[in-house]
This record gives sequence, C-alpha cells and structure tokens, in this order.
Amino acid sequence: MLSPVQISIMSNRMDSVCREMTNTMLLTARSSVLGVARDFSVSIVTSDDEVLAAAEGFPIHVWGSNLQTASMRKNHPEFKEGDAYLHNDPYDGNSHAADHTVLVPVFYEGEHFFTTAVKAHQADTGNSLPTTYMAQAADVYHEGSLIFPAVKVQEDYKDNEDIIRMCKRRIRIPDQWYGDYLAAIGAARIGERSLKKFVEKYGKETVRSFIKEWLDYSERRCIDAIKKLPKGRLEANQSHDPIEPWVPEGIPVNVKIDIDPDEATVTVDLRDNIDCIDAGLNLTEATSTMAAAHGVLACLGNDLPTNSGIMRRINIQLRTNCVVGIPKFPHSCSVATTNLTDIIVNVTQSSFAELGEGEGYAHGNYCNTAAAGVASGNDWRRGGEPYVNQIFLMGGGGPASSETDGMHYLFIPVTAGLMYRDSVEVDEQRFPILVRKMGLMEDSCGHGRRRGGQGTEVIMGPRKDPIHILHVCNGLESAPIGVRGGTGSKLGGNVRIDKEGKEHPYPAVMVCDLEEGELLRARDQGGGGYGPPAEREPERVLRDVENYVVSEETARSVYGVAIKGSRLDDNLAIDLEETEKLRSKMSV
Amino acid sequence: MKYKISVDTGGTFTDVVIAKEEGSLVVGKALTTPDNVFSGFSEALENAASSFNASMQDVLLETSVLIYGTTRSTNAIVTSSAAKTALLVTDGFPDTLTYRHGGKRDPLNLKMEFPQPYIPRRLTEEIIERINSEGGVETPLDKDQASKIIKSLSSKDIEAIAVSFLWSIMNPSHELQMAELIEKILPGIPYTLSHQINPIIREFPRTSSTAIDASLKPLMQKHFIELESELRAAGYEGEILVSTSSGGIKHVSDVIEKPIFTVKSGPAMAPLAGIAYAEAENLGNDVIIVDTGGTTFDVSLIRSGEIKYTRDTWLNGEWIGHNLGLSSVDIRSVGAGGGSIAWIDSGGLLRVGPDSAGADPGPACYGKGGTKPTVTDASVVLGYIDPDHFLGGRMSLDTQAAKSVINDAATQLNMGLEETAAGILEIAGEQMIKAIQEITIQDGVNPAESILVAGGGAAGLNILPIANSLGCSKILLPKTAGALSACGGHYSDIVSEYSASRYSATDNFDFQGVAEIFDELNSKLDAEQTSLKKRGVSKFTKEFFVEARYLNQQWEMEFKLPLSEIKNSQDVESVIEEFHNVHFRRYAVKEEGGIIECINWKGRLIAEMDKPPHVRGDEDRESDSAPDREVSAFFSSHGKCKTPVYLGSKLPIGTEISGPAIIEEPTTTVVIYPDTSAHVTTSGHYLLTS
Repeated sequence: MLSPVQISIMSNRMDSVCREMTNTMLLTARSSVLGVARDFSVSIVTSDDEVLAAAEGFPIHVWGSNLQTASMRKNHPEFKEGDAYLHNDPYDGNSHAADHTVLVPVFYEGEHFFTTAVKAHQADTGNSLPTTYMAQAADVYHEGSLIFPAVKVQEDYKDNEDIIRMCKRRIRIPDQWYGDYLAAIGAARIGERSLKKFVEKYGKETVRSFIKEWLDYSERRCIDAIKKLPKGRLEANQSHDPIEPWVPEGIPVNVKIDIDPDEATVTVDLRDNIDCIDAGLNLTEATSTMAAAHGVLACLGNDLPTNSGIMRRINIQLRTNCVVGIPKFPHSCSVATTNLTDIIVNVTQSSFAELGEGEGYAHGNYCNTAAAGVASGNDWRRGGEPYVNQIFLMGGGGPASSETDGMHYLFIPVTAGLMYRDSVEVDEQRFPILVRKMGLMEDSCGHGRRRGGQGTEVIMGPRKDPIHILHVCNGLESAPIGVRGGTGSKLGGNVRIDKEGKEHPYPAVMVCDLEEGELLRARDQGGGGYGPPAEREPERVLRDVENYVVSEETARSVYGVAIKGSRLDDNLAIDLEETEKLRSKMSV
Repeated sequence: MKYKISVDTGGTFTDVVIAKEEGSLVVGKALTTPDNVFSGFSEALENAASSFNASMQDVLLETSVLIYGTTRSTNAIVTSSAAKTALLVTDGFPDTLTYRHGGKRDPLNLKMEFPQPYIPRRLTEEIIERINSEGGVETPLDKDQASKIIKSLSSKDIEAIAVSFLWSIMNPSHELQMAELIEKILPGIPYTLSHQINPIIREFPRTSSTAIDASLKPLMQKHFIELESELRAAGYEGEILVSTSSGGIKHVSDVIEKPIFTVKSGPAMAPLAGIAYAEAENLGNDVIIVDTGGTTFDVSLIRSGEIKYTRDTWLNGEWIGHNLGLSSVDIRSVGAGGGSIAWIDSGGLLRVGPDSAGADPGPACYGKGGTKPTVTDASVVLGYIDPDHFLGGRMSLDTQAAKSVINDAATQLNMGLEETAAGILEIAGEQMIKAIQEITIQDGVNPAESILVAGGGAAGLNILPIANSLGCSKILLPKTAGALSACGGHYSDIVSEYSASRYSATDNFDFQGVAEIFDELNSKLDAEQTSLKKRGVSKFTKEFFVEARYLNQQWEMEFKLPLSEIKNSQDVESVIEEFHNVHFRRYAVKEEGGIIECINWKGRLIAEMDKPPHVRGDEDRESDSAPDREVSAFFSSHGKCKTPVYLGSKLPIGTEISGPAIIEEPTTTVVIYPDTSAHVTTSGHYLLTS
C-alpha cells in the first residue's frame, strides 16, 4: 500500500512526463493541424494496455491508445527496446487514418513497463483527394490513405528508411509530413527517457503498486461523481445532414443512456443505429467509444483524472458494422473524428440536461465550415510552389450550461474549445489568400437564462492563383438545440460569391474551387441556450446588446428586456418599467 | 553619494532595499498603500534606514539613483480599472480580442466563465482600410469615415485610443495617418499605434499589446508624475528609474511613453538578483530562480547567463485572459505558497491548493478565524516555524489552532499528525516542482546542472527536498531572500528593446530587406545610446535576436544572433547553425539541411549601471556560531528530532551547519533537513547542499 501522499506525488510525475511530450510536439510541429489546432494527443499506456495518464487533449483522440498498444503487442509479440511503431489502422484501434500514431514501448531492465503514444493528425496521408476528411470515399481503397497496422518504423532507435521513403512517395508535401513525424518521434522518445528515470527513481515494485492504486483511485473518483447524479434512462436522437449523393436521407444517430447511481455506472448504447455506409463518415471503435465517453464525462464535473480507471464505470455498447460502432472493413472511416462524433457528444450532453436543473448542456456548433477545410494550390509568391494544409478560421458557438454562457470559440463539440485559431496574418503569409472578414454574428446564438456562444462569419478569397478547398460539414439543415426552455440557434452555411456577387451555396461535402475575384463566405453556428430566456438577468441582456451579441429587438422579443439610451453616447441602459411590463406578459 | 535605493511595490508588501556604499544591502518592509503609493514606500524606507540609525531624509539626500518597481499597471489590468479606451481596427475584424488565439484548458469543463475581451466590442470601431501581407494597399484608408468615428469617441468619454490595423507591420502608413487624425480631432488624448508598440506578426498579440498600452497611459502618467513630485518634495534630487517587464530598467520619462513595459515588472527583477548572487559565489551562470510568496510561487530561468524570455505572458488566465504580447521575462506562477489550503478529495488523496487562505483569514495559526489547514499550519506543526519567533517575533502564532486543523486532515487520511503535516509540505512542493520542470523542460535545461536560487519568505521551508527531487545539489538562499525582486533592481541595467518584422527564408535570403531592418533597429538603438550618454552612462552592449522557425513550422523560436549584421551567405550559414543548435537543445530534434524562416527581429541595447559589490556588510556584529535554542522538529525520514535553531545574523562567515537545523533570518526561515547542510558564504548568504 502506498500512502496517499506518495500516490499524489507519483501521479504528478506522470503528468509532467505528459506535459514534456506535449510541449515537444506543439513547439516542433510543422503543419498547422498540429502546431495551431493542437490536433494531437499524448498518453502513457501500461504494459497491459490501460491508459495510465494522458495530457490534456481532445478526448476523442486520447483514450484510444490502449487499443493501439494491444494491436502492437498482438502483431509484434517480440517487440523490444529501441522499437517504435507507426499505427494509423482504423480497423484495429486508431481514430482515423489521418492520425498517425507513434508507439514507443518503454523498458526498464529488460521489462516492458509502459508504452508512450503520440497521435498526430497529418496535413496529408496520401488520400486520393488532397484532404484528410474524405466524406466521398466509398471505401478504404477509394480513400487511398496509406494504412500502417502497427508497422515497425524504428529499430534500435533508427528509422526504417523503407517506411520513410514509402511515405515520402505517397504523402503530399513530404517534408511537412517528415517534420511532423520527427516531432512525434521526438515527443515519444522524450517520454521514454523520463519514464525510465521514473522507474529507476521509485523502483519496479513501487511503480507497479502505483499503477494499480492510481487506477483504483481514479475509479473511486468516478464512482463518487456518478453517485451524485439522479437515476435515469435517457434516449435522444439527431440526424446528420444528407450527404449527397451517398446518403441522401441523412444519417440518424440514436443514443440511449442509462444512469445508475446505485451501481455507480453510466451506460451508453449506440447499437440501435444504421449499418456502415458507403461514404467516409463511419466512426471507428476508438472514436465511437470516446465520443460517448466525452459527452458523459463533461457532465460528471471536471477534475477527473483521464485514464482507464474512470472508464471502468462508463460502459459504451457498440455493434460491429454500425455507422457509430465498430467499422467493418473496407468501409471508409476518413471522417471518423468529427461530424457523427459531434452529434454523439451534443446529444449525450443535452440528454443529461433532462435529469434536472444544473445537469448537462445545450448543443454546440455543428458546422465545420469551409474556412476550416483543407486548402491546396500553388503560391505565385513562391514561384508557384504547391501547398496542402488545413486552415483554421472559425469560431463555433459553445453550448450554454446552467451557470455559464457558451464560449465563442468552441470550434466543434469534439474539440471542446481546445483548438487555437489561425492568425489571419499568418494565414495570408502562408497561403495566397485575402481574408475580408472574421467576426461574430449578432443574434446568432441560442437564447436562454444562459445563452450559447456566438456564431462566426468568415469571408475570404484567393489572390491571383486559384485555391482548392475540400471539407465536409454538418449543420446546413440542423441547428444546435437549447435545453430546459433555452432556444436553439441557426443554420450554418458555406457560399461561393461569384464575380457578379451572386451566391452559390455549397452542399455538406464541399469541393470549393475559387478563382481570383470570387469569395467564400462561411458561417458557423451559435450554441444552444439553457433555461428560459425570461429568467436571464436584465444586466446580462444589456451587456449582450451593448456588445452586439443580441439586437435590441431580440432583447425585447425573446428576453423581455427593453433597452433605452444611445449607443452613440455609450449610455445604453435597462428600461426598468418597460422591462417589467414585458416580462410580466411573458410569464402569462 | 552613499546610497542607491530599490523599491518593489507588491500587492501586499512594499520592499525597499538600500545599497550602502561598501555594497551591503539593507531590507525594509511595510504594507503597500494603494491610495497613496508614497506613504507605504516611505514607511518601508524609514524601516530600512532605521536599521543603521538613519532617517528617510538622510538617505534620500545621499542617494543618486532610485529604482522603482510597481504592480500598479498589473493591478489595473487584472481589476479592469485602466482608462476607458477605444480600439480602432481594420474593417471586418472587430473581434480579435475576443477570439484571442482560441484555446483553453480542461476539455471536459464547459462551465467556465470567459473573461471579457480587454476592450469590449462596444468600444471597438472598424475603420475602412486594408493592407496586404506584402505591404500593398488593398483598400485605401477612408479618412472621412475615420474622422467621423474619431469625432464620435468624444461623446463616449473615451480617455485613450488604441489603433491596430492588419499588416501595419509591413506598411504603417494607415496607422500613421490615423495618428494625425487623432491629434487633429482630439488633441491631447493619449493613443498607441500597434506597429510602434509591438511590431510583430499575428494580429492578436499585437492588438492586445496596443490596447493594454493605450489603456495604461492616463493612469501611469499620473502615477509617475505624482511619485516624482512627492520624491522631489521629500528632498530627493537623483535619478528615477523604473523596472520593466524585460528585466531591465528605464528612465521614468520613457515608461510614461510606453507604460505597458511596467506590467509584471516586479517578478521580472528577481532573476537579476539570482544571477548576480550565483556569479558572485562562483556557482556558474545556469540559474533557476524561485520566489515563494503567500499565495504564489514564481519561477524564472537563466541559461548561460541569459534570462529566458517569452511572448506568451497572460494576465487573468492563460489563453482566456489578456495577453501582454511583448517579449518579457518568462515567469511561471503556480498557486502554491504559505497560505495554500490542504484538502482531501473524493478518492481519498491529499491535495494542496489552488485555493489559498490569503492574508485574511490567513492560516489557522494566525488566529484570525482560519479553519482550513494550510502549508504554514503544517510548518508550525512540524516545528519549522517557531510560533514565538515568526517574522522576527512581530507576530505570534497559535500552535493549537494549527494542530487542530492538521489533525482534522490526519483523521480523514488515517495518518499521524506530523506525517500529514509533512505530506502537505511535500505535495505543495510537488506543485513547485511542476512549475520548475515546465520552464526548464521548455528550454531543454537539466535542473540537476543548474544552481537554484531561492527567494521569498516561505522558500526555506521546503526548498531542500524540492531540490533533491529535481536532482539539484546546490541551492543558494540569499540572506535578503525576503526581498528578492527589490534586490534585483540593484543588479539591473538600462535595457531598451526594439522589434521589427521582416519575412526572410534562408534559401532565398532577403539581404536588402533584412539590412533595412537592421538599419532601422540600429538607428533606434543609437538614438537611445546618445540620449543615455548625455545622462552619464558610458558602457553599452548591443545584441540582436531573431524569431525563426523551420519552413512551415507553426511557432517561432527566439534566439540570440551570433552576429550583428547579415550581409552575406556566410552570415546566413552561421544563423542557420545557431538555429539548429538551439532547436536541438530545446526540443531534442533538428532538421539538418532544413530551410529556416526568419520572422521577427529584435535589437537590444544594454546600458550598464554601477552595481553594489558583494559584501556581507555586518562584520562588526557579534559573531556566534552556537545555536540560539533547540526545538523538536519532525522530518519524514527521521521522525521527531532535536533541532538546533540558529540566528542567521550572528553566524560567522564560513560556518558549516549540518541538518537537522533551522536558521532564522528576519524575513525568512531556512530548514536544513537531515543529511543536508548549509554553509555561510563570504557574502553572508546560505549555500545549501542536498
């Protein structure tokens, strides 16, 4: 038995190893997907495939690493010190093919103690089209990405040059890929170095006890959080927009949740859903599991350790050959980290709101716009040099909670506000584009006692050379909903504005070819509201009107708050008498 | 002139350090008086002067240089009490300060309140104009529209204006025209232009610097003018220098122009004391400086004699608060100090912080109604802090209250009283270790190869086990540890920095463009040098830095250039080589043959100031190496031990003390754990060996 003090200390050391790995990745990455959008994760997995510690990252990414280390052990029973494995196999534990994961087994005195896992979304992985989110992929062959099912990429700490050459031949902008690969290897090896010191310092026996006790402790924390919830069975659904021509009827997603505080378990059942589809939106085992877990954990209160200990209390029920389950080969899972996962996170979180006041959240933005798509083309300013990279010019309104308004830069539910956005100046230096506008839209949020975050509008166009943007979005036909009397927000949209100023809307699967003089206008969505708008404090409504979050008209009609005074003199104020009248009418 | 004075006005205490002619430093402390800064300052000065039987007046009349550090600007930002400021931006981009870089901590927590943008949207106006990434004009400045908007500000009682346009760093003409319009329409109103205050690429940090600087101008101008007049009225005739966030000092007239430089300037002075002390003791120039206060623990870093800087300094929360945007001394703070509260979570683990008992009610042992166990209470229970000798006996502590709150925790944990108290100190130490690791890891520094300089009133309680965990074998605890930042003022130089942005990749180096940048930086530094020469400064050093990255890498890395101009391919080669080396040192990878993109350039002028020599200064005191008394103290490894307590002011130079032992100084306590030792150095500091 270790003392509670020692467990605390050793767990802090695990965190610092994760931070060290994260830091290396963040600061050495090449593509904006990693360095800006933080679309990567690091974790430490035990020798028997339990996630022991994970750095702060997208939940959808983090906890699949246990499936991948199991895959490594199964495929390479003879794995040894100095090895590193490249894993991006969506059918054997990875999130989606674009996430290259580097696995480094960590040995101490010849004994396998841990595996460090660094998973990083690549700017390109050799798909048949220059995008890493290929919704139009009928199957993995059409998708075209190189698949590495736990392939040994280093032995004795040296690259297997064959693999590197293969990648460089098939991945667009090979140097960018190689730079990101080096960053991931660097991070995994830094983790290895520190973990060896960790075992050396505490001794093998103590480390083994620590692993057991830390996971048990984490489970206890999760039990405690679940026991505080009301008992309930919840069921909800939400459809993904149609994906023409592949899934013209859209993709319905059903989520059933069983909360049992007596047994201290939460069960999410995703089995009652359609089979895998012949398009790239199928989820993988890792992303189905983690999207549901993400939704649950966000409702359990914060500060839970992120490891397999807490997952002992959260059962995710999946079915093979299900669009939100375990994919059947060779169905494509190119878009397995977003879109359907966003629906699962949103629906799970909003279902919890039915349990009672204070629980759950509204929905956050569904619309992953073209201004966050993968852009490619040539840059006349660099002698026509080609580029492929994801742009991140989005806001994305966050969901309201019982206590707080939604954030303005959630991005999408699975990224949970963690992503950086691009600097407009850096993007204009990097791509031959001119951004005309990036701003929050008035009256774009869902309303409530707490309102959603605002939606964002981006307008941009190419300079001289044409630009090609590929992406897939949702939210053209579905808006985030509000909960407990809060209202939903509005539809998003992506539009090409031609040289005459005529607007041409794009469908969910976007292939945007823009020439000089043409513009892309991308609008994401505000988040949903929580609680009745009539209960919102008039002072908050006033602040929203002052700052162009809601209009005076909306303040009046939706919130029952009348505003007087003048913007020009900066003396807007609440018209108390009128507000009282309006609100008394609303309560009738 | 006999004296030099350094002042650090903190949130709670004002520290004054007087350097006497022969070099000894005398510390004085008083409570900070936010309404009238001078009264707290003069009380602290009286306090210091009284220790050598002088008055404040005597000292001021015999002083030629006074270095003043203030948290005034930091507080104004943190409490949103700076001037009512309008922000004028490029049409289409009114929400830059709301979006920030994006990002937050804790993915599973969406119940977070986000601080309002530094300037609210209602005071942000969009101006029709647009420059592109090469500096070309896409949309000319609409002067009529701009004039109308500037006029409209007067009815809103705007007190300052910030102007930040996209790509003003490539072509400042539109911002400069705005300045003309502002001076014409609203003469006398303070304003800041983004390309002047912080000419770096990335609109968010640049706009943030601009907004913060403009908003501080009315307040800080008033503050410095008042301070100066009070000082003059008190008879002071010497120079007034102000400490800055870049770890240097500037003449008061310069910071009045750019008050943002005073933000977070107090902690930025601590590393100067750290390196001065470490070098004086011949302990090398790789130094980690820690400063433990009542609520926070600050860490800064010196590598090969160079302070570590960052452009990522935040107030009111990393990523979600306000970004300073400027290159400033990198200081990592964690909420761990004497007042940090210990608690037991639902899984049964002992945790310490981030909540703090603060000064009121304070730890339970203060007897002011605190009911929760704190690090200070734990130290009383362990016998490290003597309840009858706290703060030199000025405040007596309630041991029973400390025992009672620690005992509550012990019962829940099913551990002994002293074991629990030791656990609290250890876990508080973990937070500190984490902070030290974060800053060292990021710079590829191995703490084991560095010297740790520990300051702050509570530093001595657990610095030895912390050092031990980090593998750090040598710790220097200055006898003036209680006022490390104010001491730093005495070892500071006048530092002026100018930045400029010019993209240039190493495969197609823009020699002419970069030469223009160097000319621009040089002319600014030379003008600065000329004006400093007139003030009698004679020793100058110039340094140049670049922020660069591998091709398409996302974040730039700043490093010092090995040369002061880049005029041929050989020079470019040496820049490339230095980049590879620094990159490898920090991140353990480098890309041989990789193309490097240079983004921002910076020139620094260091004007050297006279510094006090390192002497102990109190040789005339009675020397006594015998302990003052003996107490019972608890150590996890040895249990309860009879522990001698020494009075630091009496210990002769060269004294060796083996643990367990305690050394008391008026502003700090040093706990020498078993199997560690302390040595009194020739300057009267404590060199601890773990």
